[in-house]
Amino acid sequence: MARGLSLYVEGESPLHRAHPLTSGVLTLAAIALAFTLPSIGWVAGLLAVLLALAAIAGVLRRLVAVAVVVLLPITVLLLVVQGLVNPANATVAIAIGPVALYREGLAIAALSALRIACLVVATFLLSFTTRPADLAEALQQRGLSPRIGYVLQSALQIIPQTLETAGRIQDAQRARGLETEGWLPRRARAYLPLLLPLVLSSLVATQERAMALEVRGFGRRVRRISRHVFHDSRTQRVVRWALALSVPAAVGLRLAGWR
Amino acid sequence: MPEVRLDGVRFSYPGGADVYPEPGLSLSLDGGAVALVGENGAGKTTLTKLLNGLLRPRAGSVRVAGVDVTGRSAAAMAPVVGYAFQNPDDQLFERTVRAEVSFGPRALGRPPAEVGPAVERALQRCGLGGREDVHPHDLGLSERKWVAIASALAADPPVVVLDEPTLGQDHRSRQRLAALVATLAGEERLVLVVTHDMDFVAEACPTAVVLTRGTVRFTGPTADAFADEALVAEAGLRTPHVTRLARALGLGPCVTEADLLEGWTVA
Amino acid sequence: MSEPALVLDDVTYRYEEAESDALAGVRLSVAAGEWVGVVGPTNAGKSTLCLAAMGLAPHFFGGRLRGAVRVFGSDSLTVPVPERSADVGLLFQNPFTQLSGARERVDEEIGFGPECHGVAPAEVDERVADAMRLVGLEDLAGRHPLDLSGGQLQRLALAGLLAMRPRLLLLDEPTSQLDPAGTEAIFDVLTALHERGTTIVLVEHRLELLCEVCPRVIAMAGGRVLADGAPERVFNDEAVLAEAGAPAYCRLARAAGLPPPWPVRLDDAVAAFGGRRA
Repeated sequence: MARGLSLYVEGESPLHRAHPLTSGVLTLAAIALAFTLPSIGWVAGLLAVLLALAAIAGVLRRLVAVAVVVLLPITVLLLVVQGLVNPANATVAIAIGPVALYREGLAIAALSALRIACLVVATFLLSFTTRPADLAEALQQRGLSPRIGYVLQSALQIIPQTLETAGRIQDAQRARGLETEGWLPRRARAYLPLLLPLVLSSLVATQERAMALEVRGFGRRVRRISRHVFHDSRTQRVVRWALALSVPAAVGLRLAGWR
Repeated sequence: MPEVRLDGVRFSYPGGADVYPEPGLSLSLDGGAVALVGENGAGKTTLTKLLNGLLRPRAGSVRVAGVDVTGRSAAAMAPVVGYAFQNPDDQLFERTVRAEVSFGPRALGRPPAEVGPAVERALQRCGLGGREDVHPHDLGLSERKWVAIASALAADPPVVVLDEPTLGQDHRSRQRLAALVATLAGEERLVLVVTHDMDFVAEACPTAVVLTRGTVRFTGPTADAFADEALVAEAGLRTPHVTRLARALGLGPCVTEADLLEGWTVA
Repeated sequence: MSEPALVLDDVTYRYEEAESDALAGVRLSVAAGEWVGVVGPTNAGKSTLCLAAMGLAPHFFGGRLRGAVRVFGSDSLTVPVPERSADVGLLFQNPFTQLSGARERVDEEIGFGPECHGVAPAEVDERVADAMRLVGLEDLAGRHPLDLSGGQLQRLALAGLLAMRPRLLLLDEPTSQLDPAGTEAIFDVLTALHERGTTIVLVEHRLELLCEVCPRVIAMAGGRVLADGAPERVFNDEAVLAEAGAPAYCRLARAAGLPPPWPVRLDDAVAAFGGRRA
């Protein structure tokens, strides 16, 4: 049976041992700053900090491998599109026959690509160093509704299970004569009959799951006593506040003219 | 002729061990009602999926009714092997029972004049007369399983695979199932029943193939399989109740009610 | 005198938008500590009986319930299902959909229920250990639930219910998706629970197994109770035979022309056939 979708990598680094909320706040602040900091220099600096953290956590190589796969197509697309057609384009950087890529567009594309890179790297860094279950548990300790906490925790198992169901459904349909191999339009068309049984079986499974949860007391209005003790400290609290405040500070500075 | 010939078949799931150890699985089946039994993980379902091309062997050959399976896609095997899956909800996607059951013959390009009667026959055999225009999801689990079986039969294949057909079926349905298996076997088809239900095997399948850890431990008359207590224990099977009673009464190996009654009145 | 574990007092229930009653005038009473089997054809109302005892009918499904369903004296209409789950457990057929999906270890999965009930961590651990021992999953305590086989998952689901220490356990065809070994494992657990005094209501199609362990069987069809009593009496009832079938030994004795009462267990069948052991 397919296991949960979890990118978590075991480790003992400060990032692994940090309170889940610290990691969470770090990620959110990094993403917000990535889109608030004014220039390539600053954003590249942020990216470097994130990569350094990844190195400390021992996940740098894995992170780079995954991030490159995700970022490469986006980056290339951005560079080409902006380089070709951005209205501010004036100075030619590279010319290939009749087609020219302009410096202004490329610069804008590079900045956008770096911002997106920070977002992707920050997200993967969180996924590699914090167990999703721990994050949901920490949030519930701070008052998040158990129902939302449950949705967060179970989403990761549900997705691969749904993919597995889709696979079984497709097998059953192929065995009835629905051709899925061969050229692309035929393969694409084969996805349509997949939808109804997939949705219906998901609905049936959802109903069964919901009953099974109620039968275990889920939704009972009692105070849940948390069993996980997450190590927290004054330093971490200070760090969280600093990170959280850095975002409005950056926004304020941008509004005041920082470029 | 619906023969099935597997020769030296090797297969493993991605990241998994060999399902059929050296020298590979070899099996020859000719027709009639055959039960495929063994513990979970012995390779029963894998075998049936090798027959209709859903899975491809790493080595060895698979021939069904004269067709070399490795040369065809799973969909192209549908006219040869009718497969009723264990969970009917994995198959059903049309809006009426009739549409569902006609899907197979239509997808295979059968002429419309043929499709109608073929579908009718399949529906009748599965006790679904009068339910043709019902939405399959408005039916109970038991009737949905019958729709899945009817869908597998509609294209008139020489080989029919029933994966755990007795699960979730009550007493009357099981009787209808046993009768259906007998009818299909009588039409010179091969009906392969994958099941853990030893009483159904005893009642409806004169031939049994016993798999243990990917090897064919036994092929032959069901009565002989259950008479061999060591085999039953080794393969993780259970003795059918008819056989237990016959044994306790000191009668010879019996698997059907008729056998037992005959043996008892004679004694 | 202790309260009966389960009472259905002239209960009629119809699902929303259904054309007929799923339960029609059902009257039955199960005493604390009893082990009762429930048999019948498809749509007899067996599952609905379990759902009504748990309160899922009508709290989860809507629909209309007339008459009274009382569990240990309290009316199920007034008790929401999550609260009821402290006393009553319901095990379903499908081992996979009973997983919470929110826990990555077997022991944490079992502890999910008690956590929802606000049980303190130390006690949760104790209950989880007890439950794992009862179902025989101690060796798998640290495994990911999705690594388990169907039979192990069903035992896990059962452990999850037992961690709440229910006084009444309802099981709706718990072994129908399991192989023989998995089935026997579940029945072994149920036998142990029965010895400890848990009240058990078990819906099953495997009539021979049922007759070996249940001192009382209720046969249903069309939403009504057809017969209620010792297996020997119930399976000798013509109506029950026609609707629900009968254990193999009973059918064989009838077919052999033996006089009633027809046997439901192997030993009785051997005696009835006047035979000797080989």
